[in-house]
Amino acid sequence: MTAEAKNQHEGLPGDFAIWIFILAEMLAFGVLFVAYAFARAHDVALFNASQETLNRTSGAINTLVLITSSYFVARGVDAIKRDLSRDCAWWLGATWLLGAVFIAIKSAEFHEKFSAGITLSTNSFYMFYLALTFFHFMHVLMGMIILAVVIVKARRGGYGSRDHAGVETAASFWHMVDLLWIILFPLIYVIR
Amino acid sequence: MQYKSQAVAKPYFIAAIGLFIGQIVFGLVMGLQYVVGDFLFPAIPFNIARMVHTNLLIVWLLFGFMGSAYYLIPEETENELYSPKLAIITFWIFLVAGALTVVGYLFVPYSTLAEWTGNNILATMGREFLEQPLITKVGIVIVALSFLFNICMTLLKGRKTSISLVLVLGLVGLAVFFLFSFYNPTNLVLDKYYWWWVVHLWVEGVWELILGAILAFVLIKVTGVDREVIEKWLYVIVTMTLITGILGTGHHYYWIGAPEYWQWWGSVFSALEPIPFFMMTIFAFNMVNRRRREHPNKAAVLWALGTGVLAFLGAGVWGFLHTLAPVNYYTHGTQMTASHGHLAFYGAYVCVVITMISYAMPILRGRAANSNKAQVVEMWSFWLMSVSIVFITLFLTAAGIVQVWLQRYSDAPMAFMAVQDKAAIFYWMREGAGVIFLIGLLTYVASFFIKGETKAAA
Amino acid sequence: MSTTFTKSMARNIFYGGSVFFFLLFIALTVDTTHALPKRDNSQNITPEVARGKKIWETNNCIGCHTLLGEGAYFAPELGNVYKRRGGDNGGAEFIKGWIKAQPTGIPGRRQMPNFHLTDQELDDVVAFLKYVSEINTEKWPPNIEG
Repeated sequence: MTAEAKNQHEGLPGDFAIWIFILAEMLAFGVLFVAYAFARAHDVALFNASQETLNRTSGAINTLVLITSSYFVARGVDAIKRDLSRDCAWWLGATWLLGAVFIAIKSAEFHEKFSAGITLSTNSFYMFYLALTFFHFMHVLMGMIILAVVIVKARRGGYGSRDHAGVETAASFWHMVDLLWIILFPLIYVIR
Repeated sequence: MQYKSQAVAKPYFIAAIGLFIGQIVFGLVMGLQYVVGDFLFPAIPFNIARMVHTNLLIVWLLFGFMGSAYYLIPEETENELYSPKLAIITFWIFLVAGALTVVGYLFVPYSTLAEWTGNNILATMGREFLEQPLITKVGIVIVALSFLFNICMTLLKGRKTSISLVLVLGLVGLAVFFLFSFYNPTNLVLDKYYWWWVVHLWVEGVWELILGAILAFVLIKVTGVDREVIEKWLYVIVTMTLITGILGTGHHYYWIGAPEYWQWWGSVFSALEPIPFFMMTIFAFNMVNRRRREHPNKAAVLWALGTGVLAFLGAGVWGFLHTLAPVNYYTHGTQMTASHGHLAFYGAYVCVVITMISYAMPILRGRAANSNKAQVVEMWSFWLMSVSIVFITLFLTAAGIVQVWLQRYSDAPMAFMAVQDKAAIFYWMREGAGVIFLIGLLTYVASFFIKGETKAAA
Repeated sequence: MSTTFTKSMARNIFYGGSVFFFLLFIALTVDTTHALPKRDNSQNITPEVARGKKIWETNNCIGCHTLLGEGAYFAPELGNVYKRRGGDNGGAEFIKGWIKAQPTGIPGRRQMPNFHLTDQELDDVVAFLKYVSEINTEKWPPNIEG
């Protein structure tokens, strides 16, 4: 039995290794989220005051952008399962573009904070805000690199209904990046 | 052995064991100085003994790594070593340079040694573990380069397995990060910041790649488990090592003047550092349980399993004990650190080098495994050394707790030397355990000279 | 569980993950480098301090003492010794007197060698220890005993 055929019978889409990786990532972010909660409990007033300065609108827009991109990536997987390589590449391309939009908006946010003289050492809230969102930011970039590789291969017809583990792997990673943001946004921008 | 050039590993292994004995003897001297303060003073002051103790450790482990690489790489790449002659020349240069350095430590006042060896041109000496004179440091770089050249040329013309790639990556990283030992700014905070790029990124970074690769190699040989399975494990383990270990460097940046946020980064990521060690333990036991052959070398299997367990205990558990910033605030710079250091170095690096020696040495001497009688003695030495190092660790932990309690946590903190007196009983017990360790080590050496019926190497 | 966990995938994650985290480490290092001048007391690094650090190094002081908690654990912490021994009121005199008085020669006690430092060199060592004691170490050690 080939690896791909076996994959059809199993529950997890994509490569098993990416799931180990996703679990490890979730663990790392999970610990950081818990650390954030601890630090916040230590100085609630400071955290609430600093939180006020964040641009919640751009955060909300970015949330919508990522959720939409997750939908697109899912359409891409759906397309390749029906052997529509072109459509798949288009959907993934749209996902990639939304990723770029996210990066642009987030960069503007970072730029605003940095020009206001805010650094990791300003206070604990900004340390966590900058660290967590930057950590996530790099994951989006990583996701875009993976997507780009998959798009190029899909355009050349490198995937098909029987062999699309690569597309599913990229999609799984992208969903994780989206999911992390969906936790991150309320945690850091909204909850008080 | 399969390839003639693997034989160059033999002098490396012999030198490693010889220097190991020296390390332990100086360890015993220091242990006694902890309780009989003027022992051997002024002939060998504590700082000299310690420098010899730690430097010998590093050098003999490097000999062990190089010997392992020279044995492993031809077999993995399936061709002869690029230049066995170069390997032998490198061996003698390294041994002579190392010996001269130790002689210099012992017989020349350190400040005079510094003057003689060019410390005024580029000051790099007098920092923990990097005490070597400038010319020795340059020598180490030259030796490392010629060694890497030899290994890489062999790799390039042969089969490129994952084990050899991970090993070479670890060795290259070892050489690259050593270069930070030449950077010594007057700004103490920067000095310490980059000092850890050598020390931490070695032992909690690239050395673990070397450790993983050697362990994987020996496990393939003694268990006969499929290479694909073992190499997959290896990749997952070294991945976890680096993603936890690189940012885990932050656990050294809490109290040396670096920004406060390192307390968070260091705590979070170094708290995850036990994971790769735990996986290594599972890995070793899992592979041995799934073995497809009964390898006649039982002692090597024991050392391999010992590496897994003791590395996890020493590096993983004992590291975790004091890695979180709020805990480390009280334990930093006490005997807690020393206890962790002893078990971690033994469990991870001493054990893996001896695993390799234990597996390879009989083959280098023309037999698949040593006689049963010799193996029994070797296994005795494993238990003597391993149990006594665990006790050394426990006694130092106890001393560390006394220190934290009386000197750090107390409402009426006591002075350093007063607290040392209170912990004297634990230092005496540590010295006792140290003597047993030396007996274990001598037993190990003795096992090489025990004859008996053996099978010829396959 | 799925068995499509291929070795090449494990390898890619290894390389990708390592590069990723190393870049993150570099980014934090850059930030640290920018943040340090406010914390590391580098504005007080005088030629005396620089000479003092060299004397500290070339006599291998770290082989017995700790400095900001790092070193050997055989002799007292010296990161805050300037403050422990009186700070600006007598710290310098105490340290110089102490170094000159070594070794004590008391039987059975730990001994510190005499390094035969000149008065100038002793002043340099004190300048170095004073500089170290003013680095922002996040309130470590917990108390003056180090």
